[in-house]
Amino acid sequence: MSMDSGAPLGSDACAYTDYAAGEKPEDFPKTGEGATGVEADIWKALYEVEDPEMPVSVVDLGLIYNVEVEGSTARVEMTLTYTGCPARDMILNDVRCAAMTAPGIDDADVELRYNPPWNVNMVTEQGREQLREFGLSV
Amino acid sequence: MSLDGPDSLTDREQAAVEELLFRMADDEYVVAERYIEWQIYAPTLESDLAISNIAQDEFGHARLWYDLLQDMGYTEQECLWERDPKAWTHSTLVEQPFDEGDWADVIVRSYLYDVAENLRMEVLVDSSYPPIADRVAKVLAEERYHREHAQSWLERLSGGEHHEKLQAAVDRLFPYALTLFAAGPHEEDIVSLELRTERLADLREEWLDIVVPFLESLDVVVPEPDEVDLPEATGRDGSHTDAWFDLQSEFTHTYHELELEEPIRLRGEG
Repeated sequence: MSMDSGAPLGSDACAYTDYAAGEKPEDFPKTGEGATGVEADIWKALYEVEDPEMPVSVVDLGLIYNVEVEGSTARVEMTLTYTGCPARDMILNDVRCAAMTAPGIDDADVELRYNPPWNVNMVTEQGREQLREFGLSV
Repeated sequence: MSLDGPDSLTDREQAAVEELLFRMADDEYVVAERYIEWQIYAPTLESDLAISNIAQDEFGHARLWYDLLQDMGYTEQECLWERDPKAWTHSTLVEQPFDEGDWADVIVRSYLYDVAENLRMEVLVDSSYPPIADRVAKVLAEERYHREHAQSWLERLSGGEHHEKLQAAVDRLFPYALTLFAAGPHEEDIVSLELRTERLADLREEWLDIVVPFLESLDVVVPEPDEVDLPEATGRDGSHTDAWFDLQSEFTHTYHELELEEPIRLRGEG
């Protein structure tokens, strides 16, 4: 994810990461609220994974779309803010490793999804707070 | 009509999906390879940034489509680094080399290409192959400013001292741009399976209805599309111009030099 500090979100000033306000799709962002057992542990672990460019977790950025557990394997579905994200492998690997820290999990698959396409309205309230502290106007 | 994922396709469906994906992925990858040649030569710092950004977007889109090919069983090496250059199916528009300092070329190329790309994405919104349809909205959202960039530069270059260069670039590139719409061997299946909801021939007409009036509004003379000879090498059947083989050899050089058996993973597990 790349954002120019200070660029007003929702403006056309920089389309590098798509700031076009867009709609917040129903049921997004997914935050793991209501998850139980190992799935809840995985969500908790994912909250510890930060975007490489900003001190905000991938959950608060609205990037995690689903978490499921089958036996000892976790399956995480997530998106990226930008298709050309140069940190893709790094983020995917961080998410995979985080999911594998949950008790009883010894493997994790991370799958990329682009539907619904991410937009800035999918950042959680807590994520917005952190982005503001970081110096972005959201 | 809706197909399932990559694991349950018939041979006919698989061949059609692969042709569609390789055309898109190869176009995006090769156009980006050419754009980055401008990264330090563009006429202003702003345009250095813009062109490298546009290249990054197109690499990102190439990755989306190569990813789907990898879901069908191809490796990244098979898609890119070790693939026979004669198997690539990008349009010969995107492989053309630039004459030194010919900024008009990159702008005309980008305009012709990005208008076509937008049309191509719009007829994939309802693709019968869900993994394609699911990715289109993201690409469309990232493409709009490419056209704005090209159009604003076309307006700046027209009518003044650079007009002749602009005209020369249109004369040279227009026949190659028509190869964007040249059918591949599975075109009939791509349409009848509703992988793409329009024929290339119809997309070509829609594209002409956009690019011809716009260029003419800038006093650029556009060759008569039906009188232009399509280049012998369209790219779509694996036929290419010599420039492609040089470019391919350059961008695979480091891969071979480092003897990478597989792409390096960032941050090992642990």
